[in-house]
Amino acid sequence: MSIFGEIIGTIRRVSPLPLLTFLAVTGALLLFPPLVDSPYALHIMILIFLSVIMGESWNILGGYTGQYSVGHAAYFGAGAYTTMILMQFREVPPWYGMLAGIAVSILTALIIGSICFRLRGPYFVLASIAATEILRLTALNLKDFTNGAEGILATDIPPLQFGSFLVTDFTTKDPFYYIGLVFALAVIAVTWIVQHSKIGYCFQAIREDQDAAHSLGINPSLYKNLSLAISAAFTSLAGSFYAVYIGFVDPTTVLSLDMSVQIVLICIIGGIGTIFGPVVGALVLVPLSEALRSNIITQGLITAGLVNEDSPVGQFLKENLAHAHVLIYGILVVVVILFMPDGVLGFLRKILTGKRRKAA
Amino acid sequence: MSAILELKHVSKFFGGLAANSDISFAMEPGMIKGLIGPNGAGKTTLFNCITGYYPPSRGEIFFKGHPITGLQPDRVCRLGMARTWQKVRPLVKMTVLDNVMVGALCRTNSLANARNIAMEQLSVVGMEQKTHFIAGGLPIGERKKLEMARVLATKPELLLLDEVMGGLNPAESEEIIRLILEIKARGITQMVIEHDMKAIMRISDRIVVLNSGEKLAEGTPAEIVANQEVVDAYLGESHA
Repeated sequence: MSIFGEIIGTIRRVSPLPLLTFLAVTGALLLFPPLVDSPYALHIMILIFLSVIMGESWNILGGYTGQYSVGHAAYFGAGAYTTMILMQFREVPPWYGMLAGIAVSILTALIIGSICFRLRGPYFVLASIAATEILRLTALNLKDFTNGAEGILATDIPPLQFGSFLVTDFTTKDPFYYIGLVFALAVIAVTWIVQHSKIGYCFQAIREDQDAAHSLGINPSLYKNLSLAISAAFTSLAGSFYAVYIGFVDPTTVLSLDMSVQIVLICIIGGIGTIFGPVVGALVLVPLSEALRSNIITQGLITAGLVNEDSPVGQFLKENLAHAHVLIYGILVVVVILFMPDGVLGFLRKILTGKRRKAA
Repeated sequence: MSAILELKHVSKFFGGLAANSDISFAMEPGMIKGLIGPNGAGKTTLFNCITGYYPPSRGEIFFKGHPITGLQPDRVCRLGMARTWQKVRPLVKMTVLDNVMVGALCRTNSLANARNIAMEQLSVVGMEQKTHFIAGGLPIGERKKLEMARVLATKPELLLLDEVMGGLNPAESEEIIRLILEIKARGITQMVIEHDMKAIMRISDRIVVLNSGEKLAEGTPAEIVANQEVVDAYLGESHA
């Protein structure tokens, strides 16, 4: 009980300006779908929320506890597959599937954690990759259960209704938008609570120096597994959300090393170990990858009159830029890592405090 | 008075090497025990065995009468025994206050309580002005004091200090000596590893001398200085 009193006390002490900004942004986000009547814009926003959930989840383990798991696709995939299998083959509504997914993910996390947390640093990273590869290969080969490489396609999503009152039948993007927003806010809130509680201090102490933390009365394996369990639960939530929204899961997307790396990148780009780092990371990466994938950049250059559509350069860009999106994406990521070692958020903070210091 | 810490025939082998071999001694509450010996004598290994970093290969350790042989370091710390590290281990990206709060959270679940305990201990070591400094940016003297504040925040009954004066200038060492005596005045038992002979002779009530993993002698500082074996093994032949 004292922990809850503590949290309420801390909430009271929070300075009003950030809180008001946060509430204003949340309010604006609530009004976004009715005001912006564009499914594409909503789609981008939903992908951003998804990335925020994924990034914040990883951040609890990687950013606060310092355990750089490059195997979070395991929990994303566990959530996605559990929800999808239950919905498609057992006709269980995705809400229950999501909770089941969380349970499966926590169980998976504790098994993987009990093995991998014996290792530290780069050895832990390698072990986390290996554990996830085992799951991917299992999903690929357990055809009766997961449909193997063909994956599972959702045919229809059961509507959300209380008694006879129909809340939504998921035919538009709006319900996904709001669900994504609520999940994203929830995981930000959980991160905030973690940072402002004893467990957050224990996580960070382990990140900084596990042996020192151990000698100060912190049980490292207990707190590392706790951190992984929280992290896995929310990654699983993201996986369930993804599965129902996209309507398709297969091992090579949801359980791939690519997915694990994507999750880590959101945090590295945004800023590790901060509450809003993953939010910034998602805001940078999702639009960037969308812009590169589609031909928006080439179109923009042409409309701005910088490049003639019929010139050889214009033709070249039109044909090749979209194909090269992974390459450009990769280069940009390298640039950020080289020049902003604390992520975009850390970089912005440095500029702001630098300016303040000059002004003082 | 019953012993706060008792070692019975403690040995630690690394492969064929006996880092500690058959070490027995007891510590009375409230005392400062100096632990000295040439480099490689097994002083830090003994600390690691006592605080649970590795279990001793043989022998038993009792803390306040309870066997603690093989207990994990976090359990040992919760029982009331804390240690510092020869090479300081600040939580570099956290503030001075947060560092000490981590220690305090060993005894409380409330951040507010932990903050109070931490502030108290920071003022004991004279760092209450530096609470919001990032620990990684502190000079060595303050890192050592930070480490002292952090272990004090765990509310220990027995403190194991591993070369807290190493790398410090004379003025800083003097401050640490004053601090150790202040901690003693509060009734906390201490075991101190130190290479500075003058300092160790000044602060210790009793001294244990290790040499090549074995206990060579034990006694008051005066007895140790007069012990020919110790003088030969540790202080060098030229003294003889």
